[in-house]
Amino acid sequence: MTRSFQAIVVGAGPAGSSAALTMARAGLDVALVERGSFPGEKNMFGGVLHRLPGLEKIFPDFWERAPLERHIIKKGVTFMTGDSSFNTVIEAGSFDRPPYNGYTIFRPRFDRWLAEEAVKAGATLLTRSTVEDVVMKNDQVAGVSIVGRKGELRAPVVVAADGVLSFTALKAGLRRPTFDPGQMAVGVKALLELPSDVIDERFGLVREQGFANEFVGCTSGVRGGGFLYTNYDSLSVGLVFHLASLKSSGKTPYDLMNEFLEQPQVAKMVRGGKLREYSAHLIPEGGYKMIPELYGAGIVVAGDAAALCNATGLNLEGINLASHSGILAGEAVVEAHKRQDFSRKGLANYKKLLDDSYVMRDLKLYKNAPQMLHNNRIYREYPELLCAVMEQLYRIDGAPKENLSKLFLKAAGEKVGLKALAADGFSAWRAL
Amino acid sequence: MNIDEIFDFTSFTVDRDPHIILDTEVCVGCKSRGCTNSCPARCYTWNEEEQKMTFVHDGCLECGTCYVVCQEKAFTRWRYPRGGFGVAYRMT
Repeated sequence: MTRSFQAIVVGAGPAGSSAALTMARAGLDVALVERGSFPGEKNMFGGVLHRLPGLEKIFPDFWERAPLERHIIKKGVTFMTGDSSFNTVIEAGSFDRPPYNGYTIFRPRFDRWLAEEAVKAGATLLTRSTVEDVVMKNDQVAGVSIVGRKGELRAPVVVAADGVLSFTALKAGLRRPTFDPGQMAVGVKALLELPSDVIDERFGLVREQGFANEFVGCTSGVRGGGFLYTNYDSLSVGLVFHLASLKSSGKTPYDLMNEFLEQPQVAKMVRGGKLREYSAHLIPEGGYKMIPELYGAGIVVAGDAAALCNATGLNLEGINLASHSGILAGEAVVEAHKRQDFSRKGLANYKKLLDDSYVMRDLKLYKNAPQMLHNNRIYREYPELLCAVMEQLYRIDGAPKENLSKLFLKAAGEKVGLKALAADGFSAWRAL
Repeated sequence: MNIDEIFDFTSFTVDRDPHIILDTEVCVGCKSRGCTNSCPARCYTWNEEEQKMTFVHDGCLECGTCYVVCQEKAFTRWRYPRGGFGVAYRMT
């Protein structure tokens, strides 16, 4: 059966549901098309949801209504080797006062809730529908077809929010047919169930406070890192690898994950956790330089589909950028409806809105960060250097002491090489 | 965590019609076969003795790694499963 709408959104993730919500609230008849049996069924992420200025504007009570786990009051980075680790942790009073800086969430719950909000606003949610192709009419995207179904969904404009591989953008000719493994990362995650009081005790938390920790040096030299986030009564623990590096390493994600979980300091953090789910997903980590064409005749692209992901090494932002781009895509489509102009020119305002927003400004600011993070020394030599220096500093065994700078330079010379150290410092300073 | 027990901890509704079809003849000539180590669900296995690639889509996490690392364009089909099929996350 062929059905007609005023707009079609492909993918009911944070970008798609935000777009559908924006358009439905403006009175458009919107279809929100999702391949899972419910929104969020196919989605996974590392674990921290940051502030969502766009959605907060739509729902002033957003954070009271959304299904959340713990709010993050403590953020840490661990530089580690096979048997030692050096931690930096910031715990701030302001992180424990609303509006909170970030929350852990479960995607199958959160994404489903957000899509239901779009439905409440009037959008039509079509689940179990995998988009097969775009329908073209007069060289303009005019709908989509669904795998295994007869008929089409028609609309003068399609929002491609179908995630990192975006076949919708590909079929519409907006993204290149192949991806560079140097611009992609894969994340794997183990969901470990653990009683909430054990989590509170172990990580020094009370009420619904949460802890988020990143790890460097835990990937056997593969470019990437680890994470551990506290949910209410479970831990999200996992690793992220740059695909080009993982591929050439010959190592497997699950073996590296097991090594990580067995590292003595990590093992103590996850002790007693029962494995409840294992998941994996790609992350578009190429940043600004990876962004495809954002709009075409009858189509706009939002979220991971548009590679709107900011990986600076310290934070990994995606959902906030996805949601914001979805809102702006929705606004651009509403505008196009007013003028009844769905041509490429008629949708160009989307890019302008995005360029003016924090989404594109941040991505532009950190456009050199992905390249800086391609430095292999970050993932083995530097964590080894830090741990070795700290170990030396704290060792009191009767041997005469060396002064700190001498100690550091000596260790740096051995582990990294002084020339490389200077070059890396310079490139990090430039990129960040 | 034993990856061979993936069906014990992650839910799947397996579609008999595979969403990914691999032309394994192409893999014989591939120099890297990066899919075999990169796939987080170990869907790809290479048998050195028989010079044969085996691909099973049942435990596919739909992450997209193979789509990106394959350098030989060995897929005759790579799409997401039909609606309602494939991996089903509950709490991730």
